[in-house]
Amino acid sequence: MRHLLPLPVALPLLGAALLVATGRRLPRIAVEIAGFVVSGGTAALTLVLLLDSAPTMTEWVGAWPPAGRESVGILVVGDGPALGMATLASLLTLAALAYSWRYFDAPPHGHTGAFTALMLVFQGAMCGFALAGDLFNAFVFFELMSVVAYALTGYRIDEAKAVQGALTFGIVNSLGAYALLLGIALLYARTGELAMARIGHGLDATGPGGPDALVLASFVLVLTGLLVKAAAVPFHFWLPDAHAVAPTPVCMLLSGVMVELGAYGVWRVYGTVFAGPGGIPAADLTRALVALGALTAVTGAVMCWYQRHIKRLLAYSTVAHTGLFLVGLGVLTPEADGGVALYLLGHAGVKAALFACAGALLDRFGSVDEHSLHGRGRPLRATGVMCAVGALGLAGLPPFGTALGKAVTEEAVGGPLTVVYVAASAITAGAVLRVTARVFLGLGPRPRDAEYETSGSDEEPETTGLLSRIPDTMTTVPAVLLAAALAVGVVPGFGTLVARSVARAGPGGAHAAAHWTAHGVLLGVASAVLAVALAGLAVIRPDWTSAPGWAAPLRRLQSGHVGDYVAWLLVGTTVLGALALPGVLGS
Amino acid sequence: MNRLRLWLLAVGGAGLAVLLVAACLDLPDFGGDRHPYGDRAVHASLLRHTANTVASVNFDQRAYDTLGEMSILFAAVLGCVVLLRQARDEHRAPPEPAEVARPVRRYALLVLPVALVTGLYVIAHGQLSPGGGFQGGVVAATALHLLYLGADYGALERVRPLGLYETTDALAVSAYLVLGLAPVLAGTAFLANTLLPYGTFDTLSSGGTVPLLNAAIGMEVASAAVVLLAHFLDQAVEIEEEHGS
Repeated sequence: MRHLLPLPVALPLLGAALLVATGRRLPRIAVEIAGFVVSGGTAALTLVLLLDSAPTMTEWVGAWPPAGRESVGILVVGDGPALGMATLASLLTLAALAYSWRYFDAPPHGHTGAFTALMLVFQGAMCGFALAGDLFNAFVFFELMSVVAYALTGYRIDEAKAVQGALTFGIVNSLGAYALLLGIALLYARTGELAMARIGHGLDATGPGGPDALVLASFVLVLTGLLVKAAAVPFHFWLPDAHAVAPTPVCMLLSGVMVELGAYGVWRVYGTVFAGPGGIPAADLTRALVALGALTAVTGAVMCWYQRHIKRLLAYSTVAHTGLFLVGLGVLTPEADGGVALYLLGHAGVKAALFACAGALLDRFGSVDEHSLHGRGRPLRATGVMCAVGALGLAGLPPFGTALGKAVTEEAVGGPLTVVYVAASAITAGAVLRVTARVFLGLGPRPRDAEYETSGSDEEPETTGLLSRIPDTMTTVPAVLLAAALAVGVVPGFGTLVARSVARAGPGGAHAAAHWTAHGVLLGVASAVLAVALAGLAVIRPDWTSAPGWAAPLRRLQSGHVGDYVAWLLVGTTVLGALALPGVLGS
Repeated sequence: MNRLRLWLLAVGGAGLAVLLVAACLDLPDFGGDRHPYGDRAVHASLLRHTANTVASVNFDQRAYDTLGEMSILFAAVLGCVVLLRQARDEHRAPPEPAEVARPVRRYALLVLPVALVTGLYVIAHGQLSPGGGFQGGVVAATALHLLYLGADYGALERVRPLGLYETTDALAVSAYLVLGLAPVLAGTAFLANTLLPYGTFDTLSSGGTVPLLNAAIGMEVASAAVVLLAHFLDQAVEIEEEHGS
């Protein structure tokens, strides 16, 4: 069984290569069916492996098992979280392919297989990153994931915005990748190892006096790379610019799982490489992640509220939620890790479904502008209902998986940070509910347009021409995704199963459980009520909730100028260094 | 905004510089004799009769990384094909034949076969001497483009049926993956170099699957470089914006 571990990477890549080789001669339908078969087959394989992941499976690719304690090979790790992320990535790819079935804009002439092939490579890359037990190997798949994502983001080259967004995405993420590589080089120089666990041992062995400047620098650089991917403030600027312009099926993957893989990477790398006595003390990681995470959640939520471009709005809600994930991972308890895993699963379903609904609006009306679509969504009843349900899922209304995950995380995090969780989820969900009420119900007066806003009207649909009716695939896919997000919270024992498998993979190996508690349900309901109240207020009294003066500087930071984003990336690296510095000085 | 950007850049850059300088001071001394990974890699490469240790690392010990790197190139080429396609407001105009200075033409046509053979040699001897699929592939692909310098774009296009190169690129990737999957079918690890005999040290057929994987990479890199350059050259030479748009 363990020999099959690298196959979730190899199979989609092979499928993509064969599609490119034969794609020019195949009709579109054959290409799409082949894409389904490969993507679905890989998803099935990851599921089978996931069910067999206790105890943890490991595989030395190339059959180089360690001689003594040393190996020259590459380690692939198949524990619960790794295979869970691979399964999530595979299932979402399958959903995205189903969503783009037939209706998505015609592929480039002579390259019928190109879009499907890129999606399959994306799937393989995400699986590879999730399963990597070797730091350099993780970097390779990190890069592969990025390269495909740039190409997919800029897929609609006839729109200047798409190319601009992809370019910003490319530059910022490449810089993040360089930082990651530099960090790996420093770790290698110190330990002569590349397997994550061996680097951890190496740091503990060579630094009995605790971490020094080299360990700090490598930690900061590695984390910079991963946090760029996770879109933590102030590394987040690329995300709204890219998500607003990427084709909808791609957005589902970017927001649903790729960004979260950055957070997963932080969890994996800290736990295996830096958690020992020669690494970075826990207090420093907690300080860094909780501070940046809370800042990310607040910034994301505020920015989300003041968007009228629906895809940008959803993109900021992803920023806010990754902030919440990072806070949860930052407290370093097995309970919080389990909670974050559940939250992440629920969020993936809800967010992908919401993007799918936004895509339906785009293809039907050629606009994703909350203001110009006012009342026009009335005929799209199913999409409207799913938007509302998705918003409640985003708020964490029980019994959604998001609610269970959020409740467990809140309990583990405790204290004033609970306010951040409730507020961020309520504000982002309130924004989506506001959009739903205005677009699909036509409630309230049409809000006044402010000057200089990204409106999202006059967009090109992603289909060949505007659709006269929404195809069944575009309503079925979000419905299934929402049902999955609901199932995460409802299926008895699923929460505890996830929490256990995450705890088992963590350093402590402690037991953990995830149950509904009265406290958690209450907070979830409170978030949802707050979201509805905010949305109602915004719809009835648009002037009360229009952007106040104090939010203007925050909004102006999202300038669209790549130079600004790069400057912020450097600042972020410095801030990370400052936040982690006390532990190094104290040792 | 401009001033804020400069301040941010200064603060961030200074912080990163301090961090990197401090880290560099803690690096192992230059010229030390402790190379834990190097020692292990050389040992492993000799075990498998691969004379070029770098090739052994690339195509045997860490062949899985190479799979990722090859896929990055493959995805980048596919991405360029998609991004550099002819947009709606563009059309193609065949380029005018250009005058080439006679010495340049003579030099290009003379060097072309030499460069091509050098590229193929470097690929073929990847497991024995410095070089290999990545390096040789680039040399071989560049050789073709001497035609562009020595003759004109039309001549290059005649020896460069793009569809064929795109297919070769994809087939080379498939070949690498199939070579990796074969050991799994035989009941061992993905990309394990255990199916073929290791041969005699320092001969062309030594190293088990190393020469095969190396050849697949050579094929992939050569075709990928041709396709990549073709799409950029097309943008520069053939594709023009519609007038009046």
